[in-house]
Formats: sequence, structure tokens, C-alpha cells
Amino acid sequence: MANIGGETRKERTFDVIVIGSGASGGWAAKEFTEKGLKTLVLERGRDVVHVKDYPTTNLYPYELEHKGEITYADKQENPVANRCYAYKEDTKHFFASDAAHPYIQDKEFDWIRGYQVGGKSLLWARQTQRWSEYDFEGPARDGFAVDWPIRYADIAPWYDHVERFVGIAGNKDGLDTLPDGDFLPAYPLNAVEDYFKKTVQQHYGSTRHVISARCAHLSEPKPIHIEQGRVKCQHRILCQRGCPFGGYFSSNSSTLPWAMKTGNLTLRPFSTVHSILYDQDQEKAVGVKVIDTDSGEEIDFFAKVIFVNASTLNTNQILMNSISARFPNGLGNDNGLLGQYIAFHNYTARITASYDGLQEYRTDGRNPAGGGYIPNFRNVHRQETDFLRGWAATFGASRQIIRNNDAVGEELKSNLTTGEWSNWKVHSHMMAETIPKEENRVWLDEKQTDKWGIPLLHISVEYAADDGQRRSDYYEHMADMFEKAGFQDIRTQDDGRRPGNDIHEMGGARMGHDPKTSLLNKWNQLHLCKNVYVTDGACMTSTATQNPTLTYMALTARAVDHAVSELKKRNL
Amino acid sequence: MSEKINRRSALRTMLYIAGGALILPACYRDSGRASIALVNISIDESDEMLLESLVEALIPADDTPGGKGLRLHLFVLKMVDDCHEPESQQQFVEGLKKFAIWSEEELSKLFIDAKSNEKTELMTRVEESGDESLLSFFKTTKRRTIQGYMNSQYVMTNLVKYEIAPGRYNGYFPMGNE
Repeated sequence: MANIGGETRKERTFDVIVIGSGASGGWAAKEFTEKGLKTLVLERGRDVVHVKDYPTTNLYPYELEHKGEITYADKQENPVANRCYAYKEDTKHFFASDAAHPYIQDKEFDWIRGYQVGGKSLLWARQTQRWSEYDFEGPARDGFAVDWPIRYADIAPWYDHVERFVGIAGNKDGLDTLPDGDFLPAYPLNAVEDYFKKTVQQHYGSTRHVISARCAHLSEPKPIHIEQGRVKCQHRILCQRGCPFGGYFSSNSSTLPWAMKTGNLTLRPFSTVHSILYDQDQEKAVGVKVIDTDSGEEIDFFAKVIFVNASTLNTNQILMNSISARFPNGLGNDNGLLGQYIAFHNYTARITASYDGLQEYRTDGRNPAGGGYIPNFRNVHRQETDFLRGWAATFGASRQIIRNNDAVGEELKSNLTTGEWSNWKVHSHMMAETIPKEENRVWLDEKQTDKWGIPLLHISVEYAADDGQRRSDYYEHMADMFEKAGFQDIRTQDDGRRPGNDIHEMGGARMGHDPKTSLLNKWNQLHLCKNVYVTDGACMTSTATQNPTLTYMALTARAVDHAVSELKKRNL
Repeated sequence: MSEKINRRSALRTMLYIAGGALILPACYRDSGRASIALVNISIDESDEMLLESLVEALIPADDTPGGKGLRLHLFVLKMVDDCHEPESQQQFVEGLKKFAIWSEEELSKLFIDAKSNEKTELMTRVEESGDESLLSFFKTTKRRTIQGYMNSQYVMTNLVKYEIAPGRYNGYFPMGNE
């Protein structure tokens, strides 16, 4: 990537600036450039060009120096990143190092970051579920956070729009808790997952469901995917290395090259955003201040509209650091709520068991979807429990080859290549909603800065009593369902992970009707600075139980449509 | 003599080029040091020869390669050196020395000079040594040897085949239909 600095202000002026190139930033870039707007995408990390910059993508296990393991020295340097399930020898180059990117944990919080072009879209778990009407109505019905300023009907067409381009494998399950979308063929459940689905149906009728997990993989690409240069998923399940087939969706394989083809995209890596520049006379933002991480030089870029898609906590950090005479507490932050009500997903609970039935089957190949998904069924139609909201869960079944390692010599050698198939093992993990709480917040340190002079972020986020209640409820009901299915050796396990390790941090600049109690309006514009849109996780008013990326992408496409229309009307 | 040294030195150069400087069979060395660059642990040539003999005893060559042929002793060393915590590394080195002494006492000869059935028999009663670091060394070596074997190119392409891109998933694959 050539150095895009630009001598004159004109050369540094675009129609739109998008901060961040992950899943939501990539979508902003695609939508704006397709509509003919000159768009600058700023990325704090290095460029990662699809295929070319996936150095480990075609390596066999024996070609990895440590067969996938992380070295002791790396674990010492990057304790937070090392707690991420996907941080391995073959993927670690797509994670930001803890050592190079400090933050202050007032409470223990694993902040997992992907600082490169494509961001965490290279690393995500690719699970994609729509929110339902119940999720958008939640805060108003249950009296927490603030009312979402949108409802399912507002976002539904944008889910369609995004799903068609991304490619989502799934079934039309006809559930009001998890609306159907525009799907590619689903990856089917295996023998025991199917069996569990049927026993759940038998015992709970239409109240609980086990479905094929919906995921952003091309099970059967359509012309729109081929046009992106992507082909059918090859079931490698080496996704976090970057996929040479474009079998799963990432900014790198999909939206960014698409935007580049329009000729309207300028991508500038190595550009850490310091702040958004506000002009008091015009009463709007006029650009952003960037620090070139190679040269250390400060450069200002200008645009009519700014989209902030830096990832939840980075977006909070940028807004808080955007200080002006008009906004001494951060951009759009008259009410002082910026950085508060940070929420996440509680992933701390697991349950496993074994099943001695269906011995006549095993699996062959690999399932990109991972298995089954159980949409939330707690407190859906009315309040049933002492805690608010509920939880969703994964469900998977598999058999492994058991090899006896006890012997030595010839016997060991022979045993190593002649294993026996185990019984089916079943497993589930919880994905619980958390309630946004005022005391769960982030703020800037007054003295300490990073090496580019940007104040360090304090994070103070923790579980609360109600998170424990949801976990107990999950154990109780999953164990009950497992027992009804005749599973044996049922074991629950609190995995003790820290908040943040779910990598679904949300909020801090929530959407709402009222500028007094929220930062963003129903179009994701800052109430008090209308030409700044926030469409990453920072905008989330509540968390629901779904994996959030699909919703960020849909909100982004919707907000771009709004911004373009407002620009035409000269309202921005 | 000088011709021999030159031949050795030429061979070494060739092996460095061919093997990316990592793989140099012990018999071509005269420094007395281990043949791969180790950062955290320190072992000498005789330790390495013992380890080589041990991985071969754990997984012996027959009509397919064993621990020595697949250079699993170098894999064990690399993993211990790079991936183990300092206490575990210390225990490994200490246990290796103790294994050398204990096995010599038990066999009345060096482990590397014992017959394969003698080695196998000795390995089945390592616990009898009653030494914590010796046992820890043996367990680590065995675990890493198995890992190195199962993840070797030979095994992954010939015995337990690894498919990098299966391109399929069948959740109802009939058993016995391999």
C-alpha cells in the first residue's frame, strides 16, 4: 500500500471516512463505494491481502514448527490473547499482541483484538443468527437499559441484504425467536444431534428447538459469491488462518475487494485514529486525526460523513478522545454516558455427556457449522424466572478414535495407528445475555498513553449475580434435556473465563430515542453530531443471545443507506 | 586425517544447507554439543544420543520408520526448549541425567548399547526408579514422542491420513465402511 498522505487538504478530503476495516467497517466501505462515494478506510494495523497474506493457510500440521502450540515465551508476553480459543501457532499473527497494545484492567477483562486489515472478521466464529422482535423489545418490556429505537421490521430487509452477499448456510426453521433469512443450504445435523433434536421436540413440543447452526459459509455459492472471487467451502475448518477459497465471509475475501473494484476506495493501513475533528462553526465533524504508526506523523483527513467501526471498545476510546470546546467530555457525550453500560455475553458454562446409542454411525469429513444451535427459550413470551432474559446454547456430538498410549515399543507403535471409535460424546456451551449495567464501563486514563500518545483505556467490567443465575438455569435445563435423551455421565463445567473472552463486548455508545439517555439515534447517528455514525458493537443497547456480527453488518448497511439519502438532501 | 576433517566439514556444510541448519546427525559432530540450537536447556551430545535411543525404543522402526528415523528426539528437545515452563525444563534435563545413570545401573551397560528387548523391559518399570524428575522426564519424552510421531509427515501421509480439505461432511457415516 502506497503512502496515502496527500500534500494538500484537497488530497486528504473524501466523501466518507470509515474508521476500521473489520466486518462492519468493510460493509460501510462496500455500501458507500458502490453508491459512488469516495471512501477512505482507515486501519490501525497492517494490510492483509486476501490469500497473499495468509502465510499459514496451506500448511499441514507437520509443517508447523511447534505443531500448532504456542511457545512459553509467547504465553508470558501475551497472556490475554493466549486465553482466546483461536490463538494458536497458525493464527497468532492475526491477533494484536498484549505487549504492544497495553490497556488497564481495573477488573480482569480479556480484550481480544485483531489489528490488521479485516480485523477480527478473519478470526470470527462465523455463527450468524438474526435478532427477533423479542430481543429488540426486551429492554422496554423488562425495564432495563433503554428502549431500542428500532424494531425487527426496521432491520429485517437489511438482514436480507447482508445475508445474500455474505452467504449464510441455514435452514428455514420457522421460529419466531430466530427469524429465517435468505439462506444457502444448511449443514445438516449428525445422527446424535438429530436424535437430540427429536427427543427435545417430543418432550417440549414447540417451546424448545435444536436447529442446524447458521453460519457464514458458502455451502453452495451463488453467482454473487462467485463474482466476489469466492467458492464453495471445502470443510477445512482452518478458517482463522484466512481461507484461500473465501469459503467463509471476511472483509478481506468479500467486502473490501468488492469496494476496491469500484475505484472509489482508498485503504490506508498503519493509521491509528487519534480523534474525530469537530468544527464548532459548522456544528459537525469535519474529519479525523490519524497517527501514521510507521512515521509517527500526525495527519488530518477530511470528509462529510464519518463512520466509526473501530470495534466496540476502540470506538469508545476514539469518541472519548475526541475533545473539543463544544464536547469537553468526548464527542456527543453531553449526558456523560459514553463508555458506560458495557455488556457482553456470558460464555462461562459448558456441559458434556456421552451416549451409547447410534453406534452404527460416525461422522466423516468436517462440519463448518460446528453442529446444532438451541435458540433462547427462557422468558420469551413472559417473565418466568427471577433473572431477566435468557440464554442460547450450542449443541454438538462427535466420536473420536481412542488410541491406547500405555504400552512402549512395538506394541505402542501398533496401538498408535489402530484405534477404536469411542461412544458418542455430546457437548454444549452457554451463550447467555448480560444486562448492561452503568458500573460496567470504560474510560481514558488521565496521564498514561500508548506509544502514539493516545490515552490508555481503563476497563472495569464484571459478572453480576444475575449472570450466575442464568448459568444455574442453563445447567438445570440442559441437564434435564440430556437426561431425557438418555445421555450418560452428564457433567457441568464452569470454565471460569473472564469477561471479554467471549469477544462479544458491546455498548458504551448505545442507541436510544432520547439524547439524554443514549448516544446514538435510530439511524446510528450521534444525537449531537449527526454526521458521525457508529455501527459496530459500541451502538448496542442490549446484547440478546445471538452472535452479534450479522446484526452489526445489517445495521451498517442500513445506516449507510440513511447517510447517502441525508447527503442527497444536504442534511449532513 | 586432514582429508577426513575436510570431508566432515564439507558434509556438515551440505547438511546445514539441506536441513536448514537444524538437522545434523550426532555422528558428524565433534563439539560434544547438542545438534540443534537450544535456547533454554543445555544438553550434550551423549544426552542427545540417549534421547535418540529412547525415542527409537518407544517407537521402533520395523517396515515403517521409528523414532530415530523420524528424528523425534529433536522434536522432543525443541518442544521442551520452546514450549515448556522453566521448572519443567529443569526437571527434564535433570531427569535425563538420572535416567542415564539409573538405566546403566539396571542394565549394567549404557542404555544405547542395550538390546531392544532390554530397553522395552526397562521402560515398563520406570516407576520403580522412584525418582520424580526421572519419571517426569520419561513421561514428557513419551508424550512428545507420540505427538511428534502422530504429527509427522510420514504418519500423516501414510498411516493415519490427514486431509487438509475434505470437502465433505456426512453426519450418518456407517461404521465399518472405512
